Amino acid sequence: MGTTVSPERVLKELSALWVSYGKEGAAGDGGGVLRACSMTLVVLAEGSDDAAALGETIAALMPEHPARAIVVSLSGAGPRALADRVQQQCWKPFGLGKQICCEQIEITASDEALADLPSVLLPLAVPDLPVMVWCRSPRLVRKAEFGQIARMATKVVVDSAAFADASDAIRWMAGAAESGLTIGDLSWTRLTRWREMLSHVFDNRDYLAKLSGIGEVRVEFRRPLGVSAWLMGAWVAGSLEHAGVKAALSVVELDGAGADPGPRVQLTGPNLHVELSRQEDRLVIEVNSLSSCTNLPQPSDYLLMREELGIVRRDAVFERSLASAAHLAYPTDK
Amino acid sequence: MANENPFQDPLRFERQVPECAVVIFGANGDLTKRKLMPALYRLAYDRRLSTGFAVVGSSRTPLTDDQFRENMQAAVKQFSEDTDFDADVWKTFAQGLFYVAGDVGDSGLYDGLRQKLTAIENERHTGGNVMFYLSTQPSQYAEISHGLGVAGLGKGTGWRRLVVEKPFGHDLASARELSDRLHEVFSESDVYRIDHYLGKETVQNILAFRFGNGIFEPLWNRRYVNHVQITGAESIGVEDRGGYYEEAGALDDMIQNHLLQVMATIAMEPSASFRANSVRDERSKLLRSIRPMTPDEVRQNTVPGQYGPARIGGMDAVGYRQEKKVSPSSQQNTYAAVTFFIDNWRWAGVPFYLRSGKRLPKRVTEIAIQFNSAPLHLFHQDGASSGANLLIVRIQPEEGISLRFLSKLPGAGMTLRPVSMDFSYGSSFGERSPSAYETLLLDAIIGDATLYTRQDMVEASWSVVEPIQNLWRQSRHVFPNYPAGTWGPEAADEMLARRGHVWRKP
Repeated sequence: MGTTVSPERVLKELSALWVSYGKEGAAGDGGGVLRACSMTLVVLAEGSDDAAALGETIAALMPEHPARAIVVSLSGAGPRALADRVQQQCWKPFGLGKQICCEQIEITASDEALADLPSVLLPLAVPDLPVMVWCRSPRLVRKAEFGQIARMATKVVVDSAAFADASDAIRWMAGAAESGLTIGDLSWTRLTRWREMLSHVFDNRDYLAKLSGIGEVRVEFRRPLGVSAWLMGAWVAGSLEHAGVKAALSVVELDGAGADPGPRVQLTGPNLHVELSRQEDRLVIEVNSLSSCTNLPQPSDYLLMREELGIVRRDAVFERSLASAAHLAYPTDK
Repeated sequence: MANENPFQDPLRFERQVPECAVVIFGANGDLTKRKLMPALYRLAYDRRLSTGFAVVGSSRTPLTDDQFRENMQAAVKQFSEDTDFDADVWKTFAQGLFYVAGDVGDSGLYDGLRQKLTAIENERHTGGNVMFYLSTQPSQYAEISHGLGVAGLGKGTGWRRLVVEKPFGHDLASARELSDRLHEVFSESDVYRIDHYLGKETVQNILAFRFGNGIFEPLWNRRYVNHVQITGAESIGVEDRGGYYEEAGALDDMIQNHLLQVMATIAMEPSASFRANSVRDERSKLLRSIRPMTPDEVRQNTVPGQYGPARIGGMDAVGYRQEKKVSPSSQQNTYAAVTFFIDNWRWAGVPFYLRSGKRLPKRVTEIAIQFNSAPLHLFHQDGASSGANLLIVRIQPEEGISLRFLSKLPGAGMTLRPVSMDFSYGSSFGERSPSAYETLLLDAIIGDATLYTRQDMVEASWSVVEPIQNLWRQSRHVFPNYPAGTWGPEAADEMLARRGHVWRKP
């Protein structure tokens, strides 16, 4: 294992790799290679993370979000280690002779070498394009080196469901957002289709007219979806408040095992009962006596990241809901 | 009471879809089974429809609601190309499917529809919004519209919209007459003339490409563009549509509507906003700027064709005149090539070559914009290829955009070779593109008519096609004039050669 990484050498190796791919393409089917890049994607993952699954996720993301992917594998404690490897992710779209390729740089860093990471990542970022940091390691976000990496990012994406403590996750995210970081949380992304379906219900004028009667909002969840549940509750309550409706909110954690596998959201008033629940790969929406059902696959990392990488600016609705969730879940905080 | 839905989140949510019922006339027809119902099911599958969304099918065949649901389920299973059939999603979607049988000339049909729509409005909270989709013979459009008007269905507590499929008339006079009849019941803003080409992602992307980027628009004019080729090629023959084709032909079936609309999108001026009427005003203005041809110009600038028999890939392909329901001495065109000129400051003198045909070597629709060559050839160019830059917008089958430019061959010399910079829609955005019908149905439900054809656009395109139509009808053509599986008649190549141009072979 090496102890230094020279960004200039990495870039030179990447360049050589492109030349060799170009030659192979010209010599082979003549289709050549097309280089595609719309961002730099920095993935910070623990060494214990499933590298094969992560590789597949990144490969799946590339056709929609072609990127220079820099995967940093954190090897934890132990002797100082910093090493790199460059490769390419290529695919051949159906019907086209040409291969489309993206660059991938793999860096292994021990905790002792973390301080060197920002100086390596900065020159490796593609100029003029957004830098998206996907931090899969909850332990890393508390480290000072992470702050430096986050500052060079256009957006930082975390998954608060991976944090050991929901309270800790909400507090950290709310603080980071307040400090000016553009942050994305996969716990929030998991809610998009739920929120969208709930919103669709109130696109109907008849139901919108009954909105003011809603007096109770109940969100039921099982671990590890605590942050999602609080964000959902905060978003519903906040949206109702925006419309001048005060409703009692309860966020209820159910026992681990139960017949009902997924979360449930209920809005109740004298003339209206709206309920959203997951049943396997489907989302079921009940509005009084009417029921409808739509496709809702279990959100994989790929699906969640695909959505997050498509949003490069600040998400005001999320930030508002996050601040509100922090206040609702932990009212004793400032 | 809240006036606006407080749960909206435009950053992440798809467009809002209002509650409504869709009434499909011709509900047992091919279009309903192959396109409309799979598209509606896909929209339901993708969570795009409102909870109480309903469809009322109507045709002459007596069916119960349940029989109609079974038929539509079979159609969705058979014709949904890239959507898994989900029994649970279908079950809740099918609860909103209803059927009313009757003859479009019988007032009883419209009474039955009114009762059904009232019940749906009460039970499924559709707010009185109804979209009528005419998937019938065009000769029935006016009759159905009239029937809806007499029964008072043209107005209600919510909005009412009418969607009609092409052809919109068979010449200028009949197009005007049809519009007049529809306007007796529906205002022009409520009439949605569907041209499924405009629903294709790449056609929409032309607007994004042209007006979302700063670098192309300055080149988009007569100073830099040498000529434009628009090709709509089919590899199949007329199959079992011989009867229809004997009435329509390539000129009326493709060039008058699809290709002229594509041409209008490529050549229109930037609109002041992306509102429906603003964009359609510019398309319409462009169509009205196309120079109508004199009979002499028609002879010079158009080429009709008809395919003859040939052997393709070891298989015998029959000629058009040997197809079913086609006259053995038919004078109908299965191929049409036309050179149009646009009389405005941007495009004066730039030829727009449009061609469409059946039984061409491959199915492809594309726009090729050839830019002027560099004024001086300083460098040696590899091979015989032209040095002109070419921008190709592929509409189908592989949607995308390519830019061809010259690059130096590696080495000591200064030899140039054309290279291509590709943007492939499918690969650059790995997401499945919605079908044209999904896009257009959703637009009509939302009330966005940007991709629909307006009456003045229909009339403008008939105005430029009619002189060609008239001369071709009067002439005796020597048909067939191209073998199946080739790129059309030689006369079409000569038409371009007169201006020093060559058809692309896509």
